[in-house]
Amino acid sequence: MSLRLVRIDDRLIHGQVIAVWLRALGAQRIVIVDDNTARDEFLREVLTLASPPGVPVEVLGVNEGALRCIELAAAPEPVMVLARTPRTVLALRQAGVPIEVVDLGGLGAGPGRKRLHKTISVSPDELRELRELEELGTRVEVQIVADDRPIPFRSIDRG
Amino acid sequence: MVRKSAAVGGLLLPLIVLTMLAPSVVFGASGGVSAPAEANVTVSAWQAALIAIGYYLANSCWLFGVAYFTLYRPLVAGFIVGCILGDPAQGTLVGAAINVPYLGFISAGGNLPVDPSLPGWIGTTIALAGHLSPASAVALAVPIGLLGTVLFYGRMAVDPIFAHWADARAEKGDIRGVAFMNVVPPQIFLFVISFVPVFFLALNGPSAVQDALNQLPFWVTNGLQIAGFILPAIGIALTMRFIFRGAVIPYFFVGFILWTLMNNPATGSDDSRVMITIAVLGLALASLHLTFAGARPTAAAVPEAARPATPALAEGGVRLTRGDILKSWALWTFFSQANYNYERLQGTGFAHAMTPIIKRLYTTPEEIRAALRRHLVFFNTEPNFGNVVQGAVIAMEEQRANGAPIDDDAINSVKSGLMGPMAGIGDSISQGTITPILLALGIGIAGATASVDIGSGSAAIPTLAAGASGNPIGAIVYAILISAAIISIGYVAWTQGYARGRGFVTDLLRSGAIDRVLVGAGVLGNMVLGALAGRFVVIYLAPTVNVAGASLNLQAGLLDPIFTGLLPLSIVLLTWWLLRRVSPLWLVIGYLAFSIFAAYPFFGPGQPANPASPQDQYQACTSSLLHPYYPCGAPPAAPSPSAAPSAAPSPSAAP
Repeated sequence: MSLRLVRIDDRLIHGQVIAVWLRALGAQRIVIVDDNTARDEFLREVLTLASPPGVPVEVLGVNEGALRCIELAAAPEPVMVLARTPRTVLALRQAGVPIEVVDLGGLGAGPGRKRLHKTISVSPDELRELRELEELGTRVEVQIVADDRPIPFRSIDRG
Repeated sequence: MVRKSAAVGGLLLPLIVLTMLAPSVVFGASGGVSAPAEANVTVSAWQAALIAIGYYLANSCWLFGVAYFTLYRPLVAGFIVGCILGDPAQGTLVGAAINVPYLGFISAGGNLPVDPSLPGWIGTTIALAGHLSPASAVALAVPIGLLGTVLFYGRMAVDPIFAHWADARAEKGDIRGVAFMNVVPPQIFLFVISFVPVFFLALNGPSAVQDALNQLPFWVTNGLQIAGFILPAIGIALTMRFIFRGAVIPYFFVGFILWTLMNNPATGSDDSRVMITIAVLGLALASLHLTFAGARPTAAAVPEAARPATPALAEGGVRLTRGDILKSWALWTFFSQANYNYERLQGTGFAHAMTPIIKRLYTTPEEIRAALRRHLVFFNTEPNFGNVVQGAVIAMEEQRANGAPIDDDAINSVKSGLMGPMAGIGDSISQGTITPILLALGIGIAGATASVDIGSGSAAIPTLAAGASGNPIGAIVYAILISAAIISIGYVAWTQGYARGRGFVTDLLRSGAIDRVLVGAGVLGNMVLGALAGRFVVIYLAPTVNVAGASLNLQAGLLDPIFTGLLPLSIVLLTWWLLRRVSPLWLVIGYLAFSIFAAYPFFGPGQPANPASPQDQYQACTSSLLHPYYPCGAPPAAPSPSAAPSAAPSPSAAP
């Protein structure tokens, strides 16, 4: 299983991801799947340049992202996949990307969003999408950084 | 969450048990209980109050953004506690020792793995007042750090309330009200939750801990000492996750070997000079490495014309003055994390920093309300390098106020799109590279090798050898260098972000300048870290075995002739490897348990029956698996009536 981490995080690449996760996993490639980000040339370039030397970053839309993830999952190189929303991960899963566990790493608070755990809040839609992922057999776990113990989504999703 | 709380609770338990062993002291009613034999445990109420204020300041917003890089670190906290308690040198020494396990500490995105600041302030207080060795203080500091994490998470959970109060002020268009809510209520709350527990811990902790230690068997306190020399491996290994990579790896070994060559524990060499020498060599090698090995090749520069030019502002519009920009920067530098919380993280801090900009650019209540609302949302970046985001946003607000077609979405997408990547780079630079390297240097200058005497006869607590003393210069040099570095990075990022907008980000990243800085820092950092590993990770095998009729001390007879630093270096590398599989918290617990186990006197009496007899001392020294004080040396000559006692090597003088 070379998709070492599939993470939902609305900030995509940031301190926790670069400074903690990347070191802990020893991932050698980062794939960012997000339609809006893939369309924005500036953000694409910033994200590509924001990783440490030797760790290439690919920014792809959902369709190309799904194909690429399936391809990378079969290769030995350890890869980290980042998505901004549960919907993207659900789409990847439905497109056949083998995702055993998805890490819920960061979803900011806002109007109409319910706080699940520390820095993680979800909208009703996202809650539904996360439950759907679980029904498809993908475990959803909250684990903000690698040193945390993963918390099953089921144990904090109280209706 | 439940498992983590359980782990926290499990580690807090020993601390609670320790305090319960001396309930009368904890509750301040000292009458009736006789003071311990070493009655030098005195922290006055005034001193405790100063220490508690110091701890609050370390977590507060009043030090121009550098509290987290200075007072928060045990090295600096130890120096100040030392000043308060009247022994700055010893305070710095203890602070330096406590700091090593926290060398690789990083807090990103509102996540605090451990808290170094409470161990720094309280651990040094307990060690100084109770005359504990720095190594014991290291082990005792671990449970204290977990209490500090509880305080941090309490604050993160309560502070969203104040963000909502700020929302209410924003709806009224009350600029000063938003600024007030970002600072005053959360800081009052923080003061209460930090001052009260720390005051009582500082006042009563030292005697409680000392009483508890007096009741522990001698070998358990030995085990704490051993742990104090093994736990630093965790801090060093955590730092290695950042800089022990790629082409710069050999420099770590160079630093380690230089240290073992230049340091002679028998003569007590001048540690500060050794560390400075290694650091200067590191700088020279970094320069050579960059010249001849080079960093990642720089991407091709984009021709000037291809870059989208910043639209010129219309004549006669509202302009920001240089004063507005600087005022905004100062507000951010002070107060970005004054109301740090789980819901918005730096959200209210961002709005607070925007207040001078909003005041200048917008006049109608409707515009002001909208601008405040726009900037009160979730925001989080690294508050120094990440300042390019604010700079760029300020430029966008200025263009918008002058009629440029920039809507809320455009501003939000720059904020939310840039804050993450800038935090990733910023954390790697400030927390991941500059801080540990400068800390390692400061700790190296500050701390003499902690060697301890076996203690005379009945004294249960070993005391520091007379020669070991700290050097406060280490703490001062560190605090000055890190403050200068952090403030300069923040200033340049802010002003360049404003002047050149988003283009600055891509230009800087493309230029490869950051990579060069990180590679150079990696060379220097590995040298200093290697030396630090040599100094703070100390393990001596105790047992003596009989081989062909002669007794052979495993350390003196077997390991030392090969390579003195073999065991410490192995444990550092093992820890580095283990960290990919085990969380640091479990490593700490495991190492503590192992150290106490290894101190059990399996092979003979744990304390010399007659402390004056070399034979008895040697027997006590070799009675356990590991020994914290010194290598036990070669076995003394067999006791015979004719052998003069002076001819036998004394363990305390053995190298």
